Amino acid sequence: MNTELAVDAVDVTKRYGQLVAVDHLSLQVAQGEVYGILGPNGAGKTTFLRMLFGLIRPDSGTVRVFGRSWADSGVRVLDGVAGFIESPRFYPYLTGKQNLEGLALLDGGDRGRHGSRIAEVLDVVDLAGRENDKVGGYSYGMRQRLGVAASLLRDPKLLVLDEPANGLDPGGIRDMRGLVKRLAESGLTVLLSSHHMDEVEEICDNVTIMSRGKVAFHGSIGDLRAMAPDPGHLLSTNDDAKARIIALEQHPEVAVESDPQGGLVAIGPPERLSAYVADLVRADVELREFTPTQTPLEALFFMLTDTQSDTDEATGERFSHRQKAGVVR
Amino acid sequence: MTSTDVKPDETTSAATRPARPGFGAALRWETRKLRAQLRTKALLVGAVLTPIAVVVIVHSQARPPKDTLFGRFATENGFAMALLLLGFASQWVLPLLTAIVAGDIFASEDQHGTWKTVLTRSISRSKLFWAKTVVATVFALVALVLLAASTIASSLLIVGHQPLTGLSGQTIHARAALELVSASWASMALPMVGFTCLALLFSVWSRNSAVGIAAPVVIGLIMQLVGALGGIETLRPYLLSTPFEAWHGLLASPQFTGPLQESVITSAGWSVVCLVAAFLILRRRDITGD
Repeated sequence: MNTELAVDAVDVTKRYGQLVAVDHLSLQVAQGEVYGILGPNGAGKTTFLRMLFGLIRPDSGTVRVFGRSWADSGVRVLDGVAGFIESPRFYPYLTGKQNLEGLALLDGGDRGRHGSRIAEVLDVVDLAGRENDKVGGYSYGMRQRLGVAASLLRDPKLLVLDEPANGLDPGGIRDMRGLVKRLAESGLTVLLSSHHMDEVEEICDNVTIMSRGKVAFHGSIGDLRAMAPDPGHLLSTNDDAKARIIALEQHPEVAVESDPQGGLVAIGPPERLSAYVADLVRADVELREFTPTQTPLEALFFMLTDTQSDTDEATGERFSHRQKAGVVR
Repeated sequence: MTSTDVKPDETTSAATRPARPGFGAALRWETRKLRAQLRTKALLVGAVLTPIAVVVIVHSQARPPKDTLFGRFATENGFAMALLLLGFASQWVLPLLTAIVAGDIFASEDQHGTWKTVLTRSISRSKLFWAKTVVATVFALVALVLLAASTIASSLLIVGHQPLTGLSGQTIHARAALELVSASWASMALPMVGFTCLALLFSVWSRNSAVGIAAPVVIGLIMQLVGALGGIETLRPYLLSTPFEAWHGLLASPQFTGPLQESVITSAGWSVVCLVAAFLILRRRDITGD
């Protein structure tokens, strides 16, 4: 078996003025691996992938792909590599098929060889029948799928996908994840960038979590799960004060605090939470809501990256209770 | 999406035998894109039809435009009409004609966000750069040929092909006049290539099609204004607008070709400087943004 790394990034740094977009990043992806790069927007994921593709140059460090670097091999680095950065973009005045034909030309292919291959990849991404429509009329999801088709056209050994489900509706997300999983199961090495923990958890073997250009975590999904905090639940009762007293007196393993949005947040091991809820009912405390907040891995992601979505401040505040409760195993 | 399985051998087989695209592949791709654009077709059709309409309109005027070069005879002589239109076209039409394609050819990749699409394939930046340069230059020359052929043909057919009165008052017979008028139009090729390269530079540098198209035209007009000022004789030969006037010597008696020789140097100099600058900018550029 070929033990050469698919991606070997060593001490890579990229600065834009005062901003350090990628800060001494080292990352290795073995062949056949499905690898996730996770991080909030601005973490440096896309900057790193741009360096991998040679779109930008690192200020220091090296990125080798199948043993080749841009410095010594130029565009040959991309032999066997395909993918897209952020949303894939095409020429809107050309049809989907014309776009793929042109890209095949730039891969050194001829129309004869690629004619059937184009039909094949269009079928894989479910764009067969729409290939003669101009891309300007494609929906966002169709362009994402055309991006995957354009990548498959290169017969890659390494597929690099940057936020492939970004901007898609729930059905599109499901389809895209299904496609990526099928591709991964086919033996491709996949490097997947995402800011969705569940996406990476579902697909990837190993993961690097980035925050502000640096590596915040590096390891397997199993390692990550082992680090995850206890699950949290939103709790709504008719007597929150009594519910808190019961927790304090009878269930010290369960942390219960007021939620800024109203109600309580209870955090603890699942079996302890169940016992706590049963005691609330026995004590005639009416339970009106018992809703999971974040998944444990989502919570860990926020902890590691130390960020919260601007649009989800409430979630952030709820999570801060868990941090205060020190519930990370 | 379909449930079609993607087998490993389907997706990885060719990775071990990557093909290497040549310059011809990049050239075919750029040509195909240009041909697919409505603007390209409209420009070429316009280059053929517009001169016919202008010749008809000028020919129908009761009073010829006497204050312009060859204007006095334009309504009576087809060769003079073709030269009148040449003088007009060289002021801003020719720079604009080439800038519409050359000023957009790099910037449109930024506009569509497609740099990352093409530069993540197997083609190098250098090959793409030269392919775009060749395509833009060939387009400029094709447009010039069509404009010239349409202007000369429509002028001779609509106005007539009587002997031409030259700039020194000499009579130039029809056959010789046709050769001189054709040569005069052909002399536009060099400065037009220079303006093409200038537009390419603005297209690469600004990443904005509007700047890439407008800047060369504005600079051309400014150069003409500067060239018309007194006391700048040493500067005038180096202006890219000066080669547009080099054909005057062909219509004088005796003929003088010094300006034509200077125009070769001036146009080539501008072209080389602009292309080298554009190439270095593109080669060193970080492709960021969507």
